[in-house]
Amino acid sequence: MDRGQLSKWFKHPGIMAQKYSLWAVYFCTGCGIIEVPPSITSRWDAERFGVMPAPSPRHANLFMITGYVATKTLKAIIRTYELMPEPKYTVAFGSCPINGGMYWDSYNTIKHIDKYIPIDGWIAGCMPRPEAIFIGVTKLWMMIDKGAATGYKRYRENYEYYRKNQEKLFGKLPWPPLFPIEDKNEKLTV
Amino acid sequence: MSEELAKEIIDNFSNTGVSYTSKYRMYIQTPKEELFRLLEYLKDNGFKYLVMITCVDWINENEFELVYQVGNFNTPLRIIIQVRIPRNNPTYESIIPIFKNATDYEREIHELFGIVFDGNPKLTPLFLEDWQKFHPFKKDFDSREYVKVTFDSIPTLEEYK
Amino acid sequence: MINVTIVKVLEFIFYPFIAFVIGIILMGLFRKIMARIQRRYGPPLLQPLIDIIRFFSQRTVSHGKIFSFGVILALAGSLVVLLFIPFGKICPLCGSGDLLLILYLMLFTPISIALSGGEGANPNISIGVSRKLMLSLGYEVPFLMIILSVMSFYKTTSLVEIIKYQQNYHWAILNFPLVIPGIAYILILPAMMGVRPFDVASAPQEIASGPVVEYGGKFLGLNHIEHAIHMFIGIALFIDLFLGGGPNIGFFLVEMFIVFFIAVFINAMFPRYRVDQAIKYLWRWPSLLAFIGLVLVRIPVKF
Repeated sequence: MDRGQLSKWFKHPGIMAQKYSLWAVYFCTGCGIIEVPPSITSRWDAERFGVMPAPSPRHANLFMITGYVATKTLKAIIRTYELMPEPKYTVAFGSCPINGGMYWDSYNTIKHIDKYIPIDGWIAGCMPRPEAIFIGVTKLWMMIDKGAATGYKRYRENYEYYRKNQEKLFGKLPWPPLFPIEDKNEKLTV
Repeated sequence: MSEELAKEIIDNFSNTGVSYTSKYRMYIQTPKEELFRLLEYLKDNGFKYLVMITCVDWINENEFELVYQVGNFNTPLRIIIQVRIPRNNPTYESIIPIFKNATDYEREIHELFGIVFDGNPKLTPLFLEDWQKFHPFKKDFDSREYVKVTFDSIPTLEEYK
Repeated sequence: MINVTIVKVLEFIFYPFIAFVIGIILMGLFRKIMARIQRRYGPPLLQPLIDIIRFFSQRTVSHGKIFSFGVILALAGSLVVLLFIPFGKICPLCGSGDLLLILYLMLFTPISIALSGGEGANPNISIGVSRKLMLSLGYEVPFLMIILSVMSFYKTTSLVEIIKYQQNYHWAILNFPLVIPGIAYILILPAMMGVRPFDVASAPQEIASGPVVEYGGKFLGLNHIEHAIHMFIGIALFIDLFLGGGPNIGFFLVEMFIVFFIAVFINAMFPRYRVDQAIKYLWRWPSLLAFIGLVLVRIPVKF
C-alpha cells in the first residue's frame, strides 16, 4: 500500500486519489449483500482503505455486483451504471456473474454479466468472505496502477455491442443511447 | 366441528370427496362447476382467510389442477380444495368477488402456467418483465433450450470483434 | 503604509487557504474520532483531501447553467462570510457593523444550494432543501437573541471591538448575564454545524444525501470545500463571541479543537431528530435561555 509515498502523489495525483477513495454505490443485488455490512462495520473495517458506501450513484466510482442478477434487476443496474461519472470500476462477487453459478439453467437470471456491463475484476466464492473482498480491492488497486482497469473505456468504445445485447433482452429500451451510435444504413444526402 | 362440516359438504355438493392427512388438514376434491358455491359456503361458515392458490401440472392425464387453501381464525383447521381443469386452452373463472386478495395469485398462475382467469382486471406479468409469452412452469417447457437460445448464443466481446 | 497594505493583501489571499486546511483537518479528525469511538481504525487524517482530489479528477455531468451557477455561488457565499471573521490577529474585512452582516450573509449558502437544486430534477433534492431551510428557521430564532444580547452588553456591533473588550477584561462567557446566552449557544451549536442529532438535512440513509444527490465530479469537490470552510466558520464564530477570540493563532486553535471535540462526542452519542422534533427542541430551551439572557442584559440588575 503506497498511500504514504509523497512523490507518487505529486507525479500522478489522479490515479492515486482514485485508488484510495473508492466510494461504492450501495446497490444490493443478490445474496452477496449479506457480506457487505460486515465489511463496512467495526470488525472488518473497510473505511481504513478509503472504501465508503455512497448513497447516490453520482458520488461513487465503484460498483459492486454481489451475486446473481435477475433480468428485472439488470435494467436497474444499467441505469445506475450509466449515471456514475467516469472513471468507474465494477467488481463482481461470487460465481453467479462469472458463468451463471448455481442458476446456470434458469430462465430468469443473467449468465454472463460481462456481455451487458463491462466488469473489471471477479472475486470467486459463494459468497466471498470480507477478507476476500479486501484482497479483491487490493488487486483492483494494482490493476488501476498498471492501467488495466479499463471497463469504462471498453463501454464507451464498444457501446454498440453492449446496447445490442441489452436490446435483445429487453426489446426497445426506454432511455436513449448514452454514447452516439452511428447508423451504418444511413445514406448521406447531398 | 370438522366432522359436521365434512358431512354438510358431502350432503350439499355433488361429486365431492373429503379426506384427512392429519387432524387439522382437510382435503376436498370438487368438480370445477361447484367451486364458487363451495367457497361462498365456506366463507359464510367462518373460513374468511384465503391463504394461497397454486397449480399442479398433470401432463400425463392432460389436466391442470388448481389448489385453493382457506383458513379460519378461530381454529387451526386448514381446508385445501383441489379442482381439475383441462389442459388445452385453459380458462377458469376468477374468485375475486369472494376473496379480494386473489388478484396477485391468479396473476402469478397466469404468468407461469398460462391459465386465463375471466374477471381478473390485472393479468400483467409479475416477475418476468418483457417476457416473450412463454410459460416456464409447464412440464413441456425446456429450460436448457431456452437458456441456450437466449443467453449462450450471444458472442463475447472478443468473438464479436 | 505600504507594509500594512502588503500584509493586508497577503491576508486576503492566504486566509481562505488557512481556513480550508484547518477545515480539512477538522473533517478528517471527525471521521477518525468517530471510528475510534466505534472501536475500529479509521481512515487516515487527510482522507477528505484525497476525496476532494478524486472528485476533481472525474468527469462532471451538469444539468444546466443555473445548476452549475448555484454550486459556485454557495462556495462564494462561504468565502465571503469567512473574510469577516477574525482569526487571532488576522481579519481582512473587519469594520463596524459586521456582526449584522454575518447574520444575513450566513443564509447565502443554503439559498444558493436551493437555487441549484431547482434545476436538478430529483425529488430528494426538494425534500432535503425544505428540511435544511426549516432547520435554519429553527436555530435562527435563538441565534438572533444571543447575538442581540452580546451586542447590547458590549454596546458595539463590531467583532474586533468585542474581542478587544474580552482580551482586556475577561471572557464573555464568564460575565454574569452572558453566561445564559453562552449556554444557549452551546445547546444550538450542533444544529449550526450540521452534526447529529440535527443532521436531518443531509441524511444519507433516508433521502440519499438531500441537496447534494445530483452533484457529479467537480461540483461535489466544490461542495466539500464549502463544507470544510463552513465547519471552520461555525466554530470560529462561537470562539470570537464568547471565548475571547484568542490573543494569537495558537491559543485560538487550541480552543477550536476543544469545542470541536464536544461537537464530535455529541454526534457519536445521539441518533437523528426529525425536523419537527428538532424545531420543537430549538424553540424551547435554547430560545428560553437566550430570551432570559437578553432581558437580563437590557434591564440593569443590581446585586
